[in-house]
Amino acid sequence: MLFLAMWTGDIMFENTYELIVFILNFIGIYDPIYNVFEMFGLEYLLRIIIVLAEIAALFVFILLTVMFLTWMERKVVAMVQARYGPMVTGPRGLLQPVMDGVKLIGKEDIIPAKADRWVFTLAPFLIFIPALLVFIPLPFGESLIISDLNVGLLYIIAISAISPIAILMAGWASNNKYSLMGAIRAVAQDISYTIPLALAAISVVLLTGSLSTVDIVTAQSGTWFGFIPKWFIFLQPLGFILFLIASIAEMGRIPFDFQESESELVAGFFTEYSGMKFAMFFLAEYAHLFSVSAIVVTLFLGGWSVPFLSSIPATFAVLIPIISLAAFVIKTYVIIFFAMWLRDTVPRMRIDQLLNIGWKIMIPLALLNLLATAILLTAGVF
Amino acid sequence: MEIVFIVISILTVLSSIMMIRSKKLVHSALYLAGAFIGTAGLFMLLEAEFLAWVQILVYVGAVVTLILFTIMLTRKGEEE
Repeated sequence: MLFLAMWTGDIMFENTYELIVFILNFIGIYDPIYNVFEMFGLEYLLRIIIVLAEIAALFVFILLTVMFLTWMERKVVAMVQARYGPMVTGPRGLLQPVMDGVKLIGKEDIIPAKADRWVFTLAPFLIFIPALLVFIPLPFGESLIISDLNVGLLYIIAISAISPIAILMAGWASNNKYSLMGAIRAVAQDISYTIPLALAAISVVLLTGSLSTVDIVTAQSGTWFGFIPKWFIFLQPLGFILFLIASIAEMGRIPFDFQESESELVAGFFTEYSGMKFAMFFLAEYAHLFSVSAIVVTLFLGGWSVPFLSSIPATFAVLIPIISLAAFVIKTYVIIFFAMWLRDTVPRMRIDQLLNIGWKIMIPLALLNLLATAILLTAGVF
Repeated sequence: MEIVFIVISILTVLSSIMMIRSKKLVHSALYLAGAFIGTAGLFMLLEAEFLAWVQILVYVGAVVTLILFTIMLTRKGEEE
């Protein structure tokens, strides 16, 4: 039944909830479970349980991704510097992140005497919440999306605009001048680079006419002339470059890492944190790296769409969700690798250079890009 | 649905009151962010999703951040 329906291409789930219900139905255990819940009049509880299961799966996925990314980052740095990197724990040092986690959990949780206790304790958790929430409208593959919001892109931009507050809280509550300086720099950078980021994203929205991430990905399926994939990177090369630079600046990675530039500010806004709270900042940073790369892929590199998927024979159509998930993850890791490569080869800029580039070059270029897109769209070129 | 409305309203009103009553400016700004997020929640309950996220983007993301930024750049003696 499942195979037949997939074969004819009739099945298109809106989100993972429907997919889970369909699979439970297919195995034949959804109805008995539903009847048990109905007996006590608790149908909504079943819905909540399924949603909680989805969130738990997402959380596990993020934790595993972060662990893998820390290992990958060290390996890439080691590769660039012609050494081995972590090799001792596990095969090729793959278990090193686990040991790091154990070490961080075992550390003493220090709160400075003059720190603002409540704000200091809340900040690491508040910084983790937006990093987690951004994943909700991200399409991981065909019908593999937790919720397809029709304001998806606006949601992503709005949620990532919250994190500067958490950074300011951490920097201010530590009662340390280096932390405060780091936080102020981080926020100045965040504010100035959100503008070109949003403007570049708006050009893509103009092309698709929708803010929903699923619609944006669907608009990029297929090819031109049979061999060029219909990705927006070819329609918006300038927009892609601006978006990539702005998102790397938002992540605070090395050419733009003023918030924690070690040679000037010790460790920036998380200088005073130790143990599990430090681990939360670490977790949020790498979750952010993955989510931002995933957004770049969704907007400009076709998301989960594979350009030549339509030529796959119908007998393999069952594999479409798996193929699309693989395509999405591979594209995302290409962008992540690019960010790591950049980190290892480019020196840090100066803060005034950063703000000059942000306000005097990137914002005018992004506005120009938006204007050109609008004019070409009205003229009917796209 | 009504319970959600009551909880969100109480949180919003409480954080507004705390915003006025707290002694430190930074705490006031943080409570202000809480009040704005609560208002966004109320918009969400009215099924005005777009308005809710614009509220978060503009007020929480920009206005509160700028207020906090300004407070931190001014002298510390005026903070207490």
